[in-house]
Amino acid sequence: MRRITVGGAALRGAVSTALTISLMSASALAAPPVDLSKWSPEYVRSIAGTQDFDTAGDCAKVTPLDYKGRLTFWYQGVFEGDPDLLRQYYKDFFATFRKTYPNIQLEEQALTYNDLLDKFRTALLGNAAPMAVRLQILGGTEFASKGYLQPLKPEDVGYSTEDFWPGAMKAVTWDGVTYGIPTNNETMAFIWNADIFKRAGLDPNKPPATWDDVVKYSKQIHDRLGIAGYGLVARKNAGNTPYRFMPQLWAYGGGVFDEATANPTYKDIELNSPQSKAALQASYDMYVRDKSVPVSALTNQQADNQPLFLAGQLGMMISHPSDYNVMLDLQKKATGTDKEKAQTVIDNMRYGLIPTGPDGKRAVVFGGSNIHILKPEYVEGGKVDEPAAKAIICMWTSPEWSLKMAYAGSNPGNLNGFKTKWMKERLDSIKFLDVTTSMLPYGIPFPALPQSPEIMNIIVPDMLQNALTGAMTVDQAADDAAKKVKDLMGGGL
Amino acid sequence: MTIVSGKAEPRRRLQSARSDVLRKMWGHRADYAYVLPAIAVMLIVIAYPIYYTIELSFFNTPPGLQLRDKIFVGFSNYTAILTSGVFWQVTFNTLIWTVASTFVSFVLGFAAALALHRDFVGRGVLRAILIIPWVISAVAASYIWKWIYHSDFGIIGAVLVELGWASRPPNFIDSVSTVLPSLIVVNIWREFPFAMIMMTAGLQTVPEQLLRAAKVDGANAWQRFWHVTFPHLRNVSTVTILLLAVANFNSFIIPWIMTGGGPSNASHIWITHIYELAFGRQRWGVASAYSVLLFIILMTLGYFYVRALSGNERKDGSA
Repeated sequence: MRRITVGGAALRGAVSTALTISLMSASALAAPPVDLSKWSPEYVRSIAGTQDFDTAGDCAKVTPLDYKGRLTFWYQGVFEGDPDLLRQYYKDFFATFRKTYPNIQLEEQALTYNDLLDKFRTALLGNAAPMAVRLQILGGTEFASKGYLQPLKPEDVGYSTEDFWPGAMKAVTWDGVTYGIPTNNETMAFIWNADIFKRAGLDPNKPPATWDDVVKYSKQIHDRLGIAGYGLVARKNAGNTPYRFMPQLWAYGGGVFDEATANPTYKDIELNSPQSKAALQASYDMYVRDKSVPVSALTNQQADNQPLFLAGQLGMMISHPSDYNVMLDLQKKATGTDKEKAQTVIDNMRYGLIPTGPDGKRAVVFGGSNIHILKPEYVEGGKVDEPAAKAIICMWTSPEWSLKMAYAGSNPGNLNGFKTKWMKERLDSIKFLDVTTSMLPYGIPFPALPQSPEIMNIIVPDMLQNALTGAMTVDQAADDAAKKVKDLMGGGL
Repeated sequence: MTIVSGKAEPRRRLQSARSDVLRKMWGHRADYAYVLPAIAVMLIVIAYPIYYTIELSFFNTPPGLQLRDKIFVGFSNYTAILTSGVFWQVTFNTLIWTVASTFVSFVLGFAAALALHRDFVGRGVLRAILIIPWVISAVAASYIWKWIYHSDFGIIGAVLVELGWASRPPNFIDSVSTVLPSLIVVNIWREFPFAMIMMTAGLQTVPEQLLRAAKVDGANAWQRFWHVTFPHLRNVSTVTILLLAVANFNSFIIPWIMTGGGPSNASHIWITHIYELAFGRQRWGVASAYSVLLFIILMTLGYFYVRALSGNERKDGSA
């Protein structure tokens, strides 16, 4: 029995409609390998395990398996908030690649989400970049617009553009040219502790329907139990902040620009619109007025919320399905009574759709990662081994590995991944996966602009911090952020 | 004729002085050869970056362009910095950070050195313990202190709540008013052993017979310290303070790891702000202009440092 809130014809209908609008609109004539118009947890289950793929055979058509070469490769890898299961899949991938291509000398380097962009930018300035790189979805446009990346489309490694989410393809396209291939795409979900809900006098099986409810529930949990209600995250220079605040901003009808619309133009700045201010006010109410969220929200990231949740000190948070596995990993390390307490939390862990705004609008960040090939002049040694780079890209973006590398926390970038036997196995073993696949249709990509990393990693968190610390009022913080975006877009200093 | 010879005489003296200098240089050619590799390395790793930073400070580097496509903007970066509210906030933070960290580290270090200068059981062990903060990695220390200070489950907050001295954990690093003092405490904790070591070395140069003579003459402990010990430590104190000031002006690890300059820029000091401008926001031009200004300030401090060292040498020579 699924304890999630997904279910019923009405919801399935809403999901399918939202999917059709938000994802199909970008590529209305495309023929993806799965029927996106039928998208629902049941449909995903029905296609899982229906097709076999021969990864080595497919990639051999791109780069012969006996090819001899050398590849330098950086990738956004696992970090402290990821489950052990994912670490193992990363190890397996590189072992399999070396076995499949024994004559390619692979020099890979894993970097965490928060360090990768800075290090990659610095390497590019010194023409010391790797030959291929896997970047967060936010980074592709910046480097494509600057001319660092080679054109690269799915067809170059044996796949079709239609094999990938249209929204994800937007993030690797600049000025009409495709510069990368999505490896995985993700949407998060809403997580709550049913036991805490019950003790706080809330319905344990009913998550907050709207963001206004989140504010109310958070206060009620804090007032009744003396613990934090909602796991707000407002740290600067950390991907966790925009991934948790932007769904709130969009749900209230706000945005940085018009990125939440079907065909965004990114012309008008909406960060100081009444709707955006209402979203910021909700965070202010929780942090300052009600004091119902962790005080450490300004320096915390999601990895700090996880132990708090497991200790039964946090009622609600936004995260991946992998957080369930993280909780299991952490519980194994606990001792004595902590172990029992952790088990109680795990037993009471529930996943649901992210709440809507006052007008019923539901949104989530359409996240993920992309893989790219660099131009030789920016690479250490001045040479790029393209066949070697394409070999690893073919393998990572294959139905098999794009699914396995996203096993617990994300979804395959290659839509064919949903048809594999590993998807079927995953649906049976990864609890709450249905919820995040159900959130996919509500996914909104970050603005596909070179300025996006600064907007999302610095300006938006700054706005939150300015309002939450009282350094500025909510209005001032929103106006200040809007001005910063305006200056940034105008090429200001 | 007189006029002509009057002009020729200084020229002759000048030529003679030049040849003297060249002769002396030739006489020390081996010395120059020894330092040449070091000078060559310095030119590559210091002089060129300084030149490039100065050049870059006159350009705009928008995030959509590569660095090679930078746009010349003259002194606009400097104007933008000096008219920006953040600049003054960061400068104020840097001054507070530098002055408070330097002064308190020095005072605590000096006090510890005086205490450890006396002979007592366990002195060696205590000295070793006090040096620990200085020898452990700043990165590790920053992470440890971040958890100690944690606003929800930090150990200080837990102890205070447990003892009933606070109803909820104090907010150390998530508040604009307490974050900088909290970070300064960590910095002092890490730095005072350095001052202690320097002052301990200085104390060992104070002549014992002078202190004994002062005691025989009836001077009390304070008078012996103020009239005998302290004058001997003036130069080493100056050098210690200058070294601490330069190190604090250049601090990065503690504020960056613990808060990243936040919340709301309340713990940004110059170096962390420059780092964020350059690597987070890719404003290489503005970051370079900041760096040039910082370079000027540090060179001024460096000048006083060298003067203090030269003063020491002169005094040592005359003694």
